[in-house]
Amino acid sequence: MSSEPVIGEPEIAALVRERLPDIPFEASETKTYADLRVAPEHFLALVTGLRDDAELAFDLLRNIVALDMEEAGLEAKYQLYSFPHGHALQITVPAPIPSCELPSLTGLYPAANWHEREAAEMVGLVFTGHPDPRNLLLEEDLRIHPLRKAHPLQKAEILQGIEDGPPGVEV
Amino acid sequence: MSIWPEERVAAADSDLDTVDMTVNVGPQHPATHGVFRMVLTVDGELVVGCEPYIGYLHRGLEKLSENADYRQAMGWWDRTDYLAGMCCEGAYTMAVERLAGIEVPERADYIRVIMMELSRINSHFMFLGAFGADVGSFGTSFVYAWRERERIYDLFEEVAGDRMFPTYFRIGGVTMDLPDNFEPRCRWVLGSIKQGLEDMDGLLTGNEVFVERCRGLTPVTPEQAIAWGFTGPMLRATGVPWDIRKAEPYSVYPKIDFEIPVGVQGDVFDRFHVRLAECYQSVRIIEQCLEQMPEGRVLAPKLPKTLRINDGELYMPTEGTKGEYGVYLMAKGGTNPYRAKLRSPSFCNLSALQELVVGSYVADAIIILGSLDIVLGEVDK
Repeated sequence: MSSEPVIGEPEIAALVRERLPDIPFEASETKTYADLRVAPEHFLALVTGLRDDAELAFDLLRNIVALDMEEAGLEAKYQLYSFPHGHALQITVPAPIPSCELPSLTGLYPAANWHEREAAEMVGLVFTGHPDPRNLLLEEDLRIHPLRKAHPLQKAEILQGIEDGPPGVEV
Repeated sequence: MSIWPEERVAAADSDLDTVDMTVNVGPQHPATHGVFRMVLTVDGELVVGCEPYIGYLHRGLEKLSENADYRQAMGWWDRTDYLAGMCCEGAYTMAVERLAGIEVPERADYIRVIMMELSRINSHFMFLGAFGADVGSFGTSFVYAWRERERIYDLFEEVAGDRMFPTYFRIGGVTMDLPDNFEPRCRWVLGSIKQGLEDMDGLLTGNEVFVERCRGLTPVTPEQAIAWGFTGPMLRATGVPWDIRKAEPYSVYPKIDFEIPVGVQGDVFDRFHVRLAECYQSVRIIEQCLEQMPEGRVLAPKLPKTLRINDGELYMPTEGTKGEYGVYLMAKGGTNPYRAKLRSPSFCNLSALQELVVGSYVADAIIILGSLDIVLGEVDK
């Protein structure tokens, strides 16, 4: 038997809607947490509200996942957790083509620093306002984004000095 | 001497005209516990700047996982936290199982928890041994730790056929049942672990020099720890009793009675002590598992020959040895995950190194780095 733990709460999306009525988002369920899909222009307001509202109080930024959704462009997913209330959720925000820009969360969550550097180099998101936007895991002068779907699996060494094109374009 | 970094840096500003020096530590340096490099700027003995460099062990875990079958990718996840391969396998298999909706037989769940807790003890012993060496016990703590780790590895070899990278878990259970003499062998190893923990406690906690060097070094408040994204023993050392095995329980942990050891002020000594205390709790968990474990299958019946998972995504957090070891998976039909992402606890804990190290002495910087208990396979993915 594999126990199905209570992770996250189904009501969390309703609670967010009640506490932050001005911010539009689409709520859905993943296999573990609720997912809130928000437009880039409302993203910073949503995260600030989630962090600062006493009923929500999401104080831990767990993780940032950067995705290349091919023709739909790039996306970032943020997993948040609240220590005071023990609830968790995920935020999905698309990064508009062609700039692929998202606001940096380093001002709200210092933990975002390395997560954003990794997301930036791996799929090519641009975090505006990031204090240190250098490569983290890859070489400093490497301008490729290996986790783009168009990026080939075994070519990293011969691509030095070459830049990846916009999302969805073959290298 | 103040314990607060800013005040130490301010106190070092004297009228003497001095030049800051840059010291490169690593990537090939025994004190960095792997291929980690940091560039320290020092003013005399005081660290005034620290720039960490990672990525020397980057193997592209996520890209490889996205290009491999769900089952093939397991071997890569083993090699993230290579001191506790079973914990990583556990996190990955549980994430895939929940995504695919596969039920695991109860016996397999118990076997997994036993293996994961043995891995945790194994990893913590590595920390205790290496940290003792960092602080100055030279080889003694290392050899003490190795004695117990060797016994755990022997047990892994008997069960899974391999020591460090067993690839013992399968999606839907475990590869094979435990060998016949496992229970007495395991109980013997647990006895030996308890003895080893006592020896280690006596050697390190009982040593005044060790305690004096660690106590009060870089205290961290719970607010700072949460802001920096600390999890696991690093967070619990600050006094926050948060363990994913309790907070968002998975597998058979809800049926097991154990405590969450916490520290008081989040300094280096507390981080050491929390890990030592956790080993005793892991022993308790394994003993209960041995008693409660039912007979039965160890692999779910009627598993598909080729695992295809329909659209879906999840973020599955588990309590790894260093903190929250989270696996994000997105499936879109096919036999491969569309996106696989590791939330690595060492990576998050290490990202605050700068804040912790600046303001301390060079010799203390090594201890602080050691107290983070990083494993570079996990940091670099």
